[in-house]
Amino acid sequence: MVKPVLLAVLLISGASTQLSSSDAYERYCVECHRELPTSLQRMFMRYLLVYGGEKNVKAGLKHYLKYPLKEISVMSDLFIDNYGIKQKTTLNDTQIDEVLDIYWERFKVIDKLK
Amino acid sequence: MLVSKNKATNSLLKSEKKSLFRFLTLYVAMVIFSITLLSLFYYQSQEKLMLSDQRAMLTKYAYIQTKRLKVLHHFFDERIDYPRDLRFKSAIYDFELTRIFSLIEDENIRFHEEIYMTHKYIHLVKTLDEFYLGTKYLIIEVEDSGAWRGEIWKNIIGYGLISFLIFMLFGLYLAKLFLKPMRDSILLLDRFIKDTTHELNTPLSAILANIEMMDTDVMVEKNKRKLSRINIAAKTVSVLYKDLTYLTLEQEKTNHDEVIDIRELVYDRAEYFSSLAQSKHLEYNLDLEDATITIDRRKFTRVIDNLISNAIKYNKRHGTVGIELKERMLVIWDTGIGLNEEAIPFMFDRYIRFNNAEGGFGVGLSIVKSIVDEYDISIEVKSKEGEGTSMVLKW
Repeated sequence: MVKPVLLAVLLISGASTQLSSSDAYERYCVECHRELPTSLQRMFMRYLLVYGGEKNVKAGLKHYLKYPLKEISVMSDLFIDNYGIKQKTTLNDTQIDEVLDIYWERFKVIDKLK
Repeated sequence: MLVSKNKATNSLLKSEKKSLFRFLTLYVAMVIFSITLLSLFYYQSQEKLMLSDQRAMLTKYAYIQTKRLKVLHHFFDERIDYPRDLRFKSAIYDFELTRIFSLIEDENIRFHEEIYMTHKYIHLVKTLDEFYLGTKYLIIEVEDSGAWRGEIWKNIIGYGLISFLIFMLFGLYLAKLFLKPMRDSILLLDRFIKDTTHELNTPLSAILANIEMMDTDVMVEKNKRKLSRINIAAKTVSVLYKDLTYLTLEQEKTNHDEVIDIRELVYDRAEYFSSLAQSKHLEYNLDLEDATITIDRRKFTRVIDNLISNAIKYNKRHGTVGIELKERMLVIWDTGIGLNEEAIPFMFDRYIRFNNAEGGFGVGLSIVKSIVDEYDISIEVKSKEGEGTSMVLKW
């Protein structure tokens, strides 16, 4: 009797942790980007190409999310002409940081090259 | 104290050597320091030259690798194989100096130098304008064969030795130039003695010959004493004259070695100096066994004369002059003023005198030392201030 209860608790807690971390990214980013022709992976590589390191990329992204402008966008003019500039984010700093951490971990190059 | 055989018997020469040694030590240290410094500059310039030769090639490799990174960037993460090349190894670091990927052997990277050498490798650090895969710094590494070092070391050792020798010759020339005034003063003194000696010969011979010829039987006691004093004074001058003659004229003459009966010679010389000994009321204590030595008579006489005359000259009134002769050993001792331990090493130096009350040039013991050295005779000095001195010759 104890074993099934323990297993159920572990499964629920594991699932809830996974849901909360991926949900932030999935909920705030993937939802909108799903409609766009450029994947979040390609966008990440564009940011990496321009900003270099982890802190720089995150700082650049955070700034753009809070103050989106055509002049500071890393996307091509053609892309912006077709899809425009995103709306200013409604997320607070903590939420942005959380999302960006997930985004970085998912697409970073470090430890992936062979 | 046993006096070392090859000890310099000239105080001026010794101080000259000391000055020369000090000067040369300082000079050698300076020369070595200068050559080392120049070698270091030369080594560094050659290293820079080698690196500038390598720079073109490594820059080409960096360009090739950048192109490959660009391609990989665009196809990431469908392709994740880092581009490799047999000619070089590479590493990529991001803006924050975090390693993205590395194949290089030596990870001690100097990000702010464009090209440099590590222990075994040459590194080129290329800064990218566009951060492919997030790369800010691309490091290209090639192995250093070290062949260029061999050539440089050969040049440093070769030219270094030649420069050292030239500098040393120059140093010796300089040292001689600086020491010339000191040497000149010695030569002046030698020349003065040589000239004086020459002028002493004729009057001294006349005095001694006339004293020998005088008939003392018809003389009154008062005149006999006066004649004796003249005789002593003349003999003292005679010993000095013989020493100076030996030093300046006879020293270079060829030796005529013969077997000498030392006992007979010592008796003869003791007799010669007896009037001098009597004037100080000294008594002889002779303990002479039969002994011989093969030596130039003229030189051995100088040794005996100087040791006996010193034993008389530096003795106290009513003292004793002892001469002990055994097979292969001669001891001449006195009960005179003696010398302190510190003075003994310098007593054989030319022109050195420890007692100005007695006459002389300070050349007697210098002559003794040069002769005993020549014939491998050891000389030991035992002396105590106020008690006397003992000179022990062994052969």
